[in-house]
Amino acid sequence: MTSAPATLRYPIEQHRLDNGLRVIASPDHVAPSVAVNLWYGVGSRHEEPGRTGFAHLFEHVMFQGSAQVPSGHHMALMQAAGASVNATTWFDRTNYFETLPTGGLDLALWLEADRLGSLLDALTQENLDNQREVVKEEKRQRYDNVPYGDVMERLISLTFPPDHPYGHTTIGSMADLDAATLADVGAFFRRHYLPNNAVLTIAGDIEPEDAFTRAQTYFGALPAGPLSPSPRDDPMPPLAPVDDLPRMETSGLVPAEAVYLSWRLPARNAPEFDALDLLFGVLGHGQTSRLHQRLVREAELAESASANCMGLIGGNSYGFAYARARDGVAVEELEVALLAEVEALLRDGPTEVELRRGKAQYERHWLHELAAIDSRADALGEHATLLGDPHLINTRLADVNAVGMDGIAAAAAAWFGPDRRGTLIYRKDQP
Amino acid sequence: MSALPQPPIAPPGPWSFPIGQHDQLSNGVEVITYPLPGQYVIAAHLIMDLPLSAEDREREGVATICARALDEGTRSHPGETFAEHLETEGAGLGIEVSLAGLQTILDVPASHLAAALELFAEAVIEPELTDADVRRHVQLRLAEIEQARANSSQTANLEFRAAIFDPSSRASRMNGGEPETLTGLTPDAVRAFHAGGFGPRGATLIMAGDFADDPVELAEATLGRWQNPHQSHPAQPRIGPAQQKSILVHRPGAVQADVRLGGFGIDRLDPRWPGISVASYAVGGAFLSRLNAVLREEKGYTYGVRMQFSPLRRGGSYAVQGSFRTDVAIDALVEVRRLMDLHGAPITADEVDDAVAYFTGVTPLRYATADGVADQTATEVLAGLGESYVDRNLAALQATTPESATEAYESLVDIEGLTLVVVGDADRLADPLRAAGYPDLVVT
Repeated sequence: MTSAPATLRYPIEQHRLDNGLRVIASPDHVAPSVAVNLWYGVGSRHEEPGRTGFAHLFEHVMFQGSAQVPSGHHMALMQAAGASVNATTWFDRTNYFETLPTGGLDLALWLEADRLGSLLDALTQENLDNQREVVKEEKRQRYDNVPYGDVMERLISLTFPPDHPYGHTTIGSMADLDAATLADVGAFFRRHYLPNNAVLTIAGDIEPEDAFTRAQTYFGALPAGPLSPSPRDDPMPPLAPVDDLPRMETSGLVPAEAVYLSWRLPARNAPEFDALDLLFGVLGHGQTSRLHQRLVREAELAESASANCMGLIGGNSYGFAYARARDGVAVEELEVALLAEVEALLRDGPTEVELRRGKAQYERHWLHELAAIDSRADALGEHATLLGDPHLINTRLADVNAVGMDGIAAAAAAWFGPDRRGTLIYRKDQP
Repeated sequence: MSALPQPPIAPPGPWSFPIGQHDQLSNGVEVITYPLPGQYVIAAHLIMDLPLSAEDREREGVATICARALDEGTRSHPGETFAEHLETEGAGLGIEVSLAGLQTILDVPASHLAAALELFAEAVIEPELTDADVRRHVQLRLAEIEQARANSSQTANLEFRAAIFDPSSRASRMNGGEPETLTGLTPDAVRAFHAGGFGPRGATLIMAGDFADDPVELAEATLGRWQNPHQSHPAQPRIGPAQQKSILVHRPGAVQADVRLGGFGIDRLDPRWPGISVASYAVGGAFLSRLNAVLREEKGYTYGVRMQFSPLRRGGSYAVQGSFRTDVAIDALVEVRRLMDLHGAPITADEVDDAVAYFTGVTPLRYATADGVADQTATEVLAGLGESYVDRNLAALQATTPESATEAYESLVDIEGLTLVVVGDADRLADPLRAAGYPDLVVT
């Protein structure tokens, strides 16, 4: 019997193909399955004004066929090989992944290479129009037709200038989606979908040398291309009350009024980020967090309350806290109470026990993240793409555990608190 | 690029679900353990023989409120000190209330299992269940229902279950209780439910992961002290179908219509389960299923549409569900009905092969983690499926034929008897729906 290790030792080997594709292998023979995971260094922050939603629209287009693969058959062939398949788009990146029995690894690599090498050969106006409609349905289903569905977009716009890479959300606007032409989409593909702008991770039931050989077989012949200049990633300072702190009120058909606070934070590779992540955890993660204890449990002002840090790489990250009012509680009263907790945490810092608890909870979440080959492969691709080193998954716990009270106090003083917040008040429309 | 030909697939290697070790604590609690090397987060599920039929009709929701208040304090660790201790061990505590039984779930890094299991046992055996905690959880549950009612998709799910199960069935109402029974729920009722319902008889503890210490010894040292001479013996709830109906829930100005079309179904012990699993995958489970290929990939009417059979311990339900922009919703519904009809279009051999390959392929990965194994075993215990269910079900899936899949489907899916629930803008949908073959449509 063994116990959870203090230092993780997931095996990680790296290799770079001549065309610049970074390949990561991480063998694990517990199940006869492999995870294939591709991170492309393109997300909504790489979009240009008037072209919002392109990275995500593109994620859909990537399933519409390539030179040797009919539309929709990437997914169908993979599922018929016993694979779980999907793709997601976020501010900093787009990822594509399939996890399947080892005997289908070649097919998975072939499919991924075929679309990277020849997507535009198969792209038609009809395919583009179809996926544009699908994406618009996704927007309606996930954002427009749900209560509070516009909160993220509003908070982002409070926190970053409209022309900032993080000034808009990944789903984009209906108008920009409608305006996307075949030529626009082709240009976007040629600019970003390059082997030298990708990380391929193969984790699971395969040895590294074998994984590298197969990566070479299927991806080796794809040409590298010129990398586009990165979008701005100069760190912006925290929000500040130069004139007034940003504040917005909106309303909708929602069952409870709510208050949201947002902060501009340092990028996830900045030394203060882990400290702020722990601080936001103390404020609003879980049942023992300040916001749950004070607002939900003790004062009974809120039906729910939490806080979160979203780590981003382009100069800044983003953090928020929120509380939804209990029936009969005025949102103004809730805002005061929420701010008081923010203020107290900034002034006094977390207690030693709170910090220890935050680290213990982080440990469980991180071990959980690495427990399955598919999420482990994704973590490897993430750390290689955004932070330049997949081995960081093994040292992550040690890094978080090294954060001390002084580090938290300094990071909080620089980035956190009532004077650096944006505020969104969500009121209730009468139906 | 050099156009390499499409590579073949090598057949999957042998695999079987891990074999659990069975033990019994001195108080009769069954223990099933799965040592899984490299799984550093232990998953522990305690399943209680406490079906929702144990709730009085006028106190429905009491099981959920009781379960949610378990970690609000124990006699040994009162109030918030309980959760503080638990979270400081890096542990997470969850609950799951289902018709067939109640689960408490612990996730914790292996080195903290002993301390966390002691707290876990406290929450189950000696929760405080104070007046304030109960009253707050009732209010939070009422707020949660309001949030669900404000959400189109959740409203559709709630209306659908109310429409397909016999109104006398507990299954027709929310597991967590409805406002009319929650509002009058007293702290005494919650404490009485705990006193009469929680106990070691019929309980099963499942633990999976890379154990640092002998998990059965830890269980004996903690849950082994659990006794309840007053524990009741509730029977499993009876579940039956309702009359077919068509309902439109008005949501003024909604940009989409949330559609549910289906009926009463079967459970995993029905001999048609493998056949219907394959058939429903072909009709509405795969990405290029009959439904999704047309409604998403060909017509762009939806982000996705799927058909799913949802088993209960006995009986179950099935539905095609999707969300369509309002101006194409009627067309979409007509297409859904057409594609659901296998008359003249039986399940093909290729569809069976694809479905079987999919189920066979995704299974090993699903059960490669501690929580995957523990969660599946819990499902099997709650549904009374017996030993090695996953392996037996895979073998049965692999023996499915186009004929057996088609027969299972046609015996279960009565195209003329489907119950419809739509949540959307009635001003734009009601008349067209009536004209499209739902003259008995009820608008609410």
